Amino acid sequence: MASFNSISELLAQLLFMPMLAFLLGLVMVLMYRKIAARLQRRIGPPFFQPVYDIVKLYSKDTQISHGLIHDIGIVVAVGGYVAAVILLPVPGMDGIADKGGIITLSYFLMIPSLGMALGVGQCANPNGSIGISRALTAMLAYDIPFIIVVFGVALHYQSTSLVGMIDYQQAHQWGIFEMPLLAAAGLFALQGMMGKHPFEIYVAPAEIATGPMVEMSGKFMGGLFVMQSFQFYVASVLYTSLFLGGGANWFEFLLKIFFVVEIPMSISFLFPRYRTEDMVRIMWKWPVMLALIGIAFVI
Amino acid sequence: MSKLGNIPVQAKSEKKRTNPLARVFDELIQFCQSRSMFMLHYCTGCGAIELPPAMTSRFDMERLGIQPMVTPRQADILLVTGYVSVKTLKRVILTYEQMQSPKYVIGICSCTVNGGMYWQSYATAKVLNEYLPVDVYIAGCMPRPEAVIMGLRRLMSNIENGKGNAWKDYYERYDYYLGNQQHLFGDDWQTPVDVIGEAKFYDLEGEETYGEHTRTLEQHQEPLEAAVMRVKL
Amino acid sequence: MSVLDEVFILCALGALVLFVFHRIRGIEKLAVVFYAALLYLLIKMSGLGYGGEVIYSSFSLNILGETLQWRFDAVSWFFAIITVASGLFSAVFMSGKWGESYREKTSNAAYGTLQIALLLNVNSMLILLASGDLLSLFIGWELVSWASFMMMALNPDKQARQAAIKYIVYAMAGAMAFLAAMAYVYGITGSLQYAELAQASAALSNGQIILLSLLFFTGFAIKMGLIPFHLWQAVAYAETPAPGAVFLGAISARMGLYAIIVVLIQLIGLGHLQQIHIPFTFWNLQTVLAWVGALTTIIPTYIALKQNDARHLLAWHGVGQGGYMLLGLMTLNSLGSAGGLLHVFNYATYQAALFMTIGAVIYRTGTANFDKLGGLVTQMPLTFMVMVFSIIGLAGLPPMNGFVSKWMVYRSLLLDGEPLLFVAAVIGTLGTILSVYKLVHNTFLGQLRVEHQNVREAPLSLLIPMLVLAAIMFVTGMMPGLVLDWVASAQLAMGLVPVTYNLGGIVLASGGLDMIWITLILFYGLGVGAIIFYLLGGRAKRVHQYDNYAGGHFLTSRVRYHYSHNFYAGLMHLIGGWYRGSFKKLEQAIVSLVSLLSQLSENMYRSAQPAMMVIIVVVLSLWSISGGIN
Repeated sequence: MASFNSISELLAQLLFMPMLAFLLGLVMVLMYRKIAARLQRRIGPPFFQPVYDIVKLYSKDTQISHGLIHDIGIVVAVGGYVAAVILLPVPGMDGIADKGGIITLSYFLMIPSLGMALGVGQCANPNGSIGISRALTAMLAYDIPFIIVVFGVALHYQSTSLVGMIDYQQAHQWGIFEMPLLAAAGLFALQGMMGKHPFEIYVAPAEIATGPMVEMSGKFMGGLFVMQSFQFYVASVLYTSLFLGGGANWFEFLLKIFFVVEIPMSISFLFPRYRTEDMVRIMWKWPVMLALIGIAFVI
Repeated sequence: MSKLGNIPVQAKSEKKRTNPLARVFDELIQFCQSRSMFMLHYCTGCGAIELPPAMTSRFDMERLGIQPMVTPRQADILLVTGYVSVKTLKRVILTYEQMQSPKYVIGICSCTVNGGMYWQSYATAKVLNEYLPVDVYIAGCMPRPEAVIMGLRRLMSNIENGKGNAWKDYYERYDYYLGNQQHLFGDDWQTPVDVIGEAKFYDLEGEETYGEHTRTLEQHQEPLEAAVMRVKL
Repeated sequence: MSVLDEVFILCALGALVLFVFHRIRGIEKLAVVFYAALLYLLIKMSGLGYGGEVIYSSFSLNILGETLQWRFDAVSWFFAIITVASGLFSAVFMSGKWGESYREKTSNAAYGTLQIALLLNVNSMLILLASGDLLSLFIGWELVSWASFMMMALNPDKQARQAAIKYIVYAMAGAMAFLAAMAYVYGITGSLQYAELAQASAALSNGQIILLSLLFFTGFAIKMGLIPFHLWQAVAYAETPAPGAVFLGAISARMGLYAIIVVLIQLIGLGHLQQIHIPFTFWNLQTVLAWVGALTTIIPTYIALKQNDARHLLAWHGVGQGGYMLLGLMTLNSLGSAGGLLHVFNYATYQAALFMTIGAVIYRTGTANFDKLGGLVTQMPLTFMVMVFSIIGLAGLPPMNGFVSKWMVYRSLLLDGEPLLFVAAVIGTLGTILSVYKLVHNTFLGQLRVEHQNVREAPLSLLIPMLVLAAIMFVTGMMPGLVLDWVASAQLAMGLVPVTYNLGGIVLASGGLDMIWITLILFYGLGVGAIIFYLLGGRAKRVHQYDNYAGGHFLTSRVRYHYSHNFYAGLMHLIGGWYRGSFKKLEQAIVSLVSLLSQLSENMYRSAQPAMMVIIVVVLSLWSISGGIN
């Protein structure tokens, strides 16, 4: 009966983990917009604004598609994240985190981006292509410090399994106290990974007309809104699992992930945008330096 | 069927849907549509200067769920903020046609209503709703941000009550609008957007979708069928 | 008679028949049958892939007191099955429409020559893989070099000819290094048998080992295109006719890796590589070789990023991917070396498929230049699909097989605690992602050109091998255990601890990998994504590519609206200055030096001043008589 229980449990997790991620992600989107508003001394959107936006986008009467790959791109962009969050453990639900681990997850997270990149490519709009070329460059920029951080963390915990890392931290102490330099570098990389100011070069609305989103209408845009909420969720949960000891219970977990995601959100409205090469330069300089020194301490 | 300006206002279908859920969803959708409007401001004239204050901390449009967007594909509202020269009008029409329905047009400033101070200009399109179905006009030279927000709220309540349907008129009476456009731009006028194809595809054709002007268009139109992905060995 | 004998007899027969009848139409079908038969014989030997005994050939030669013998062990078999399968796929690829068009463009004889070249390549590689001592290894080595040269020289284009000449010069240099190493071995042991070298190597001094490894490694590294010998390969492979590029790209350069395994790992031995410290550094020989691998992943990959021709881009990636194999192998632990070996297989599947897709694009459009392509996805959807599968493999993303082997390399570097090598490997992977997107975008996505509006899908004879390869990529990605069987046997034959695996991937206490789960979850996610997309939203109308946002501009066929040139402009602002062509300059310097020396000696030889000549000769002879060096 144990196997039956575990199977039914897994099925429940397959259903609940993405839903939960989506809902929390929506709240994070709201938070992002609220923080922006407050920093600009505005009131900001009402509580259900992210829901209104998504419902409206999905309920558009007409929308355009540039072809099958355009459609599939959005499917992969959303579906890739739905799958990725199942690899991310949350309190009480491990999903299939033990089958992959942190390296798998970091590469898994590129699937939605690649899907979107293919979809945007078929739009035959150079603004979109420029956006993707910048987005991939940005990925090259932030992934190098991020992967060094991942390496250091995995080396420190002697494991690539997220579940193992969380257990270790809950038994000992949080990673951020044991590896402060790596945690700082990770936070820096997180800023780039979320694709918000000052590293939102690939969106650049006034310059390349929101880049990848240029030809997205209706449910296509809706898919990208859904993807954005997953993105916030994944970034915060990943960081929490690596450095803040995951969550022993839901209260602690929610507190931590919202705290984590609040930091880059607040920073993002304080700086103007970096040029692509400046972003690469800054990402390859400071966080990489911090992370390498951090690794030296770990070894 | 009554008329508002030259836009016929269709009474809402009295027949209630049998499925209660369908009605719930319709209302939810209408509500969400009214609470989430992405606007594309086509800044043709001086009225554009009144939009930044409406968006920023003084009046904060985002409270109402209204935020600026960049491309017509993403936008719901087209704000035409000032006089429209003939050359500009071509771009306004293309932009409008590239927006996805339901879509709304708001004419800001007197110039869009009747040409305003450009009344005597030979190069200005004076009445915007001859070329595009306009939902709301906000008169004034220029209207203050309060007035702009008033107009937006009017549009919101229209949408919420299911009255923001001017976009359907563009499909249903495409011949009329196309005629006016051809009158201004010449018979070889065409945009890269296949409006007739869209009307067919989404089943939005009306009695006046086709007419003499669409026939003129067909005579010289470059084909606009999408490239179909198919395996031809 | 052993199965290996049958293989050789079949090879000889095939070569004979093809040589006699190569002008006849229909020979291509016979060639396909030949490779299929060869594959069948290899499958008969498949016991080797599951831990079977070494198979010896029943004949041997005696030359100058040296016994030449041939045998297949698990490593040879692993490489051989990839070789023959690549040959089969290339033969199928060129058996149909592609062959016809090649015939029309050139002649029956030229097409027959291409077939002969492919067959000679496969045969010579089998001879190399079967070699049982250093002399037969050398013979196989030379055969492979000349067979590849024959293949490359088939393209009459000037650039291709130059590349082929360059290749053969490099190959000769490598062979000289190999020969020197052999002479050295003979000097030490008095024999060229593997066993004797393995015995003798235990007693060698560090200096001797370093010299020996350096000589051998130079020879093999040239074949594999490792840094700093990477310059010849990409152009030579890219300019070869499509099926030739498929075959050469998929496996040819890996013969270098095979030789490295045989000589450096099996004969000189693992212990030596780890023990020998390079003077004045913290490094040992193993680290140096691993860094050669790491640099080979980075530098050629970023050269690929700059290419503007699909074939060249792919061929440069071929060089770069070799680095992963060496890097994995040089971790010398069970996981990493398994990753390196598995990568040979995985790489062959997607590189062959990629060259085929580009071959198909050239077949239909006549060009592989990124500035003259774009938007072909609507015209050639299946080719596009195969390319997407393959680039996912090449970039090393789940769920394709490339991910598994790269994961194993990363994971073993992590276990070893090698942060810099790990980062180097990841930098290579990220560069690959960038340039494969450039590849797929600039050929298949973006705006379709007016002149390509009537382009059709690739013909079936081109599609079938591509689709089969795509299926292999996916299946071995989802169930890497299928290939890991062979890899583990090869590891045993190499004297390494075999990796622990199951059908779905790697079993490790501290975080393993289970690709079956990962693939299933991915498809679950995609299913949910599809439900959200297709059920929750309304219908979407397909629009013409000119119905596109251009800031209010009216798009027409007169103005092209497409971004492909200088694709990573932002990145190039930063790293563009780093492309200094240092290796090219070094190569040129060596070429100039050699030509200067040869001119000097030629002038001396043909000099019209015999008196000078006589003086020099006299001085030299006096010097040597009076004791000379000693």
